[in-house]
Amino acid sequence: MRTVFKNGRILDPSQELDVIGSVIVEDGQVVDLGEDVEIGEFDEIYDCEGLWIAPGLVDLHAHLREPGGESRETIKSGTQAAAAGGFTTICCMPNTNPPLDTPSLVDFILDKASSPEAGGIFVQPIGALTKGQLGKELGDLAALKMAGVAAVSDEGSPVQDASVMMRAMEFCLQLDLPIMVHCEDTNLSEGGCMNDGPTSAMLGLPGIPRSAEEIMIMRNGVLALNTGCRVHFMRLSTWGGVEMVRQFKYLGAPVTCEVCPPYLTLTDEHVGEFDPMFKTTPPLRTEVDIDILMQGLADGTIDAIASDHSPYAPFEVEVPFEDAPMGMSTLESALGVILTHVTAKNILSPLETIRRMSTAPAEILGLDAGSLIPGKTPMAQLVLIDPHLEWVFDATRTFSQGKNSPYHGWSFVGKPVLTFCGSEVYRDAMFSEERYELAME
Amino acid sequence: MSRSLIAIRHMDADQIRGLVDMAARLKDDVLHDRKISSGRRRTIGLLFFEDSTRTRVSFEQACNYLDYRIVNFGGSGSSMNKGESLKDTILTLKHERLEAVVMRHRSSGSAQLGQGYFDGPLVNAGDGQHEHPTQALGDALTVLERKGRLDGLKIAIVGDVMHSRVARSNAWLFSKLGSEVRFVGPRTLMPSSMGMLPGEVHYDLRTGISGADIVMCLRLQKERMTDGRLSSIGEFRRLYQVNRATLKWAKEDAIVMHPGPINRGVELDDLTADGPKSVISEQVTNGVFVRTAVLKWIFDEEGSN
Repeated sequence: MRTVFKNGRILDPSQELDVIGSVIVEDGQVVDLGEDVEIGEFDEIYDCEGLWIAPGLVDLHAHLREPGGESRETIKSGTQAAAAGGFTTICCMPNTNPPLDTPSLVDFILDKASSPEAGGIFVQPIGALTKGQLGKELGDLAALKMAGVAAVSDEGSPVQDASVMMRAMEFCLQLDLPIMVHCEDTNLSEGGCMNDGPTSAMLGLPGIPRSAEEIMIMRNGVLALNTGCRVHFMRLSTWGGVEMVRQFKYLGAPVTCEVCPPYLTLTDEHVGEFDPMFKTTPPLRTEVDIDILMQGLADGTIDAIASDHSPYAPFEVEVPFEDAPMGMSTLESALGVILTHVTAKNILSPLETIRRMSTAPAEILGLDAGSLIPGKTPMAQLVLIDPHLEWVFDATRTFSQGKNSPYHGWSFVGKPVLTFCGSEVYRDAMFSEERYELAME
Repeated sequence: MSRSLIAIRHMDADQIRGLVDMAARLKDDVLHDRKISSGRRRTIGLLFFEDSTRTRVSFEQACNYLDYRIVNFGGSGSSMNKGESLKDTILTLKHERLEAVVMRHRSSGSAQLGQGYFDGPLVNAGDGQHEHPTQALGDALTVLERKGRLDGLKIAIVGDVMHSRVARSNAWLFSKLGSEVRFVGPRTLMPSSMGMLPGEVHYDLRTGISGADIVMCLRLQKERMTDGRLSSIGEFRRLYQVNRATLKWAKEDAIVMHPGPINRGVELDDLTADGPKSVISEQVTNGVFVRTAVLKWIFDEEGSN
């Protein structure tokens, strides 16, 4: 089987490549690419004129909810949503029920993800850092590593005890296992449901101070610096956090970080009249934070963009704001948001955009993804992006079961139109039929 | 046409003034034994997710004046305690054909959410720390009776501003009507940023109430000691108690208000609470008449007597 992606703009940050050319895939693997490749005979061909050909997007941070949260999302619906969002590899967070703290659960997720009904993309489980994600005792991290987790994290229930975190880092350094940290001092955030600021004051909603996040970035950064363990900061939301990560990198701490589309586009004012679609953790902050997060992206302090896909069932969201769960369903809007609000504003070039959403996240966790170099990944993972396609995001028509999107009704310019992971796994209705040709036997 | 009363923040000065004036007329009618019922026996649901004897009784009395029938919903044994969602509870009341709902709930924003599901007139009887509009309207009627106007006054709201729906509703009300609002309290009980909330912040009682026409004390909840925002009641009393000595800083003819229930000896000393400047009992009485007005107003019945 020889598949040709012809005459597109190839954007591959793993080889600093930004050229008009073609990509050849044979039996599911990239074999050649560039300006002057021989197209030769083919079984199928995609005319990519005017489109970007990029390595499939890589998401460091998604919640697939299975097992235990199937009314919110399943591995099937979540991977389908990811494929539709242009992702070919996604990391799923361990805060399932039960939490992902045993090798058998890792197997369960890998089995489900590779079943024919699923989205056809790779799922990389992230293991729980402590037993039951309770923040007290370390999990069986060597066993989890052997079972195939790429990193460990206690995600939304972060370890509060610094001594537990220090031991965890020492042990993970030995295992060469990165720790992904959601930074929140839960004593400071307790009871809060949105950013502590003018809007929370007006609405009479308990606020979460930015200190709750920044204190933990500081603590975890210091521990990373002193232990040498690789630490990845998840979903930065404050300007102070960006400055702290910048300092830790300057000091030589082995740290990386991510930002998520909502923190680059939305502020606490979007909560408006108690709209639970805008409730997430950490909470949406302010315009100043957005400015500094954008700067952090532009200057490379922020390594990656992750979706923080957090789907919920409709009934869970139809409650008073304080009772609503924190999180947004974002896999299918992520690229549209970034292309429209970051790339189009020249904060990131097209090549840098792909780096932050594919190559860099793959490198952070050492995943077989994020590159079109022949033989680099076991299976060709690529996405075709129409950078000019204007579209309106409709949260009611997503593959994800979670309809809790803050972007419902938003217009975007630029969309993933075809996702390929060994074979075609998603084709957008707006991908013209004339672009595809299947050779007749 | 029917309408809801969710928040003073959403209302304009004319609407607020109209309701206060209507309450004053209704009060006059009732005190002179004139009938105020329109003759139509509406059915009103009193939906109190959070206990409140005072506000509930006040609404019940308002319904008595209007000859409305009341359906009480809440407390132990109701489906709310069996885990039914706010949405389903409200939908049930809607389909039981209640004509209006008066709702009290512990969560800010719940009144607006409930209104969306009820799809008919809903009166917010207190939603979390957001608003308590009928309390503010009753307070306005009390001020109007005592001061003869609602504009050009200085009102100091003293105490736990952060957690107070009474503070928010009154701040919006008096600022919309052209009076000057000041928030007075310790930093630990004041929002870190007031944003749109209309009023000047004072951490010092003396500057805060200096020259005030109205000193409105807020109730201090015991939780403020357990959640670490105050070390003791004594500390609060030392810094913020309105009493004979501190009240001298306000205007000579200042009035003292409190939404109740009072912690005697904490926000106010006995002499002040029961003294000539206190209008606390009038606030309770007027609370009934503004609720009477509101329960007519939601059905667009203000003109009909």
